[in-house]
Amino acid sequence: MRKKAYLGIDIGSISTKGVIINDENEFLAECYLWTEGNPTQATKNVLSELKRQFDSETYQITASGTTGSARKLVGSMIGAQVIKNEITAHAVGTTTLHPDVRTILEIGGQDSKIICVENGVAVDYAMNTLCAAGTGAFLSSQAHRLGVEVEEFGKIALKAEKAAPIAARCTVFAESDLVHKLQVGCPKEEIIAGLCKAVAGNYLNNVAKGKKITAPVVFQGGVSKNEGVVRMFEEELGMSVLVDERGHLMGAFGIAVLAREQQTEREFSFDVAEMEFRTREVSCGKCANHCEIICVYRDGELIDAWGNRCDNGAVAQR
Amino acid sequence: MRTIRTIGIPRGLMAYRDGVLWKEFFERLGFQCVVSPRSDREMLETGTARAVDETCLPFKMYLGHVMWLFGKCDVIFIPRMGGYSEREKMCTRYEALPDLLRNIFREEGIRVLTVSYDWYTKTTEEKVYLELGATLGKSKKEVKRAYVHARKYQDTWMKSKEKGQDQALESGKIKVLLSGHPYVLHDAYMGGELARILQKLDAEVIYTDYVDRESALKKSYDFSRVMPWLINREITGASLILRRKVDGIILVSAYPCGPDALVNDMLVRKLKNVPVLSLTLDAQSGTAGVETRIESFIDIIKYQKAGGYGNKDR
Repeated sequence: MRKKAYLGIDIGSISTKGVIINDENEFLAECYLWTEGNPTQATKNVLSELKRQFDSETYQITASGTTGSARKLVGSMIGAQVIKNEITAHAVGTTTLHPDVRTILEIGGQDSKIICVENGVAVDYAMNTLCAAGTGAFLSSQAHRLGVEVEEFGKIALKAEKAAPIAARCTVFAESDLVHKLQVGCPKEEIIAGLCKAVAGNYLNNVAKGKKITAPVVFQGGVSKNEGVVRMFEEELGMSVLVDERGHLMGAFGIAVLAREQQTEREFSFDVAEMEFRTREVSCGKCANHCEIICVYRDGELIDAWGNRCDNGAVAQR
Repeated sequence: MRTIRTIGIPRGLMAYRDGVLWKEFFERLGFQCVVSPRSDREMLETGTARAVDETCLPFKMYLGHVMWLFGKCDVIFIPRMGGYSEREKMCTRYEALPDLLRNIFREEGIRVLTVSYDWYTKTTEEKVYLELGATLGKSKKEVKRAYVHARKYQDTWMKSKEKGQDQALESGKIKVLLSGHPYVLHDAYMGGELARILQKLDAEVIYTDYVDRESALKKSYDFSRVMPWLINREITGASLILRRKVDGIILVSAYPCGPDALVNDMLVRKLKNVPVLSLTLDAQSGTAGVETRIESFIDIIKYQKAGGYGNKDR
């Protein structure tokens, strides 16, 4: 008999992540690629890559789960048993690999969050509101302005003797600050170090406002790959900050763990990667709220719909 | 001037706090009241089209309600409320409300019924209502009787809400306190959405405005002696009273609210030992972001109660 394996997919606004794990929390396959505004296609690409790495003679996938902003869509697409928000997925994933963690910092492409953990379970969290200031998107746009690859930011920042003070509260203000610093002849590496410091400072003063940051601290999300920001966090917090090399896969890993914990088993087939999925957004006209209802079709057949605020807008499944 | 038979009450802003009293008062005096229906997206859109950009979401919604009342009543009741004392004022929006509305709807020739009071000229609620009744051409005796009755009616209504909430607090479900302005919490399109999401997740919804106002106000002085806003006092006081009786607190604010921006920042730091989530509502039509946040919040409470994720024994 083949051994059991579990699939987890994390579909974010910027990137889509997939992992397959076994009962011992070993990664049997993993994949990370850009969502490019098309979650269904990104999921298909992730699945093909996972299929390539996966040893289907030794293992069979008995449960799957989805998380991230497109979790509902992809969840009904692959028939996932667990569909959960990214906070829970990240908390589960991180506490599984780092059972003693107390604080999880995360800065992604468009959002950032903090999760406080006590005795291996999340007790509080916060997420950025309204705007994407101080996230990966902010760093990329500044890198573009400076003519530097954002991947190089961390290394350049570490070379700086000091960090130039830059306001990171708002991208618009940061840009005018940046231009000013360049014009007064401030070295590029100091500006980059300043940007990294601003990201850490902005995070601690906004997202982490009022939250107690206790060691051990784990830092995740795309921005955690930036050594400059990691260093600034360590300086600001006065404690070491751990970056897991698989930090970017933690959401997918967490949802795979949750898929394993739930009781039902159903063999997963990679065939969904070959099927055609289409979504349609319809504006409901049954009341003055005009809800935008998302309908998902698999090979032309309606499989799921959501987005209605009241029962009038419920879409009957054929 | 046309005689007044019907008075329109927009279902917005302070109507969610004092509307019961207003309606009962006018009806006692022999007037008919027309109350605009529950909020929906169309009202928000019509209101937004007439509002200046910087105003808050509830004000935009309020304009939509006022517009719904056009042609359905003789006057629209828009009081100017400054607050009764210096540490219990109202937000500036209320100090300018009838003037704002008269200016915005000048072309429509809006007829406003108003009454005005301020913290710097000492007055009482009763005096304010006597003045309002006099504007409507009613005798002092008649007006006083109507006020006393309406006040009692509102108190009874409040008591029933408090009692209902006390029962809800005994429930075995997960109890989540929605902390915010009444006109945000109970508006069908704003707080109503949050309540719907919470109930779908099988949580019991508790409100800060279903707490005895006097006790909440008194308690708020433990939080701050100088905070100048009455409603934020009632919100913080009630949050402090209820914090140990609930499993989590959601601070709900509608964008952009000046008083909330200052007060909630301090409140998050003071509410210890209970999970707190800050939510800012904007005119976004989708609810996905809010749903994710609430779902995560409920998960935290649930898994905490269950003692973990079940990932430890491996």
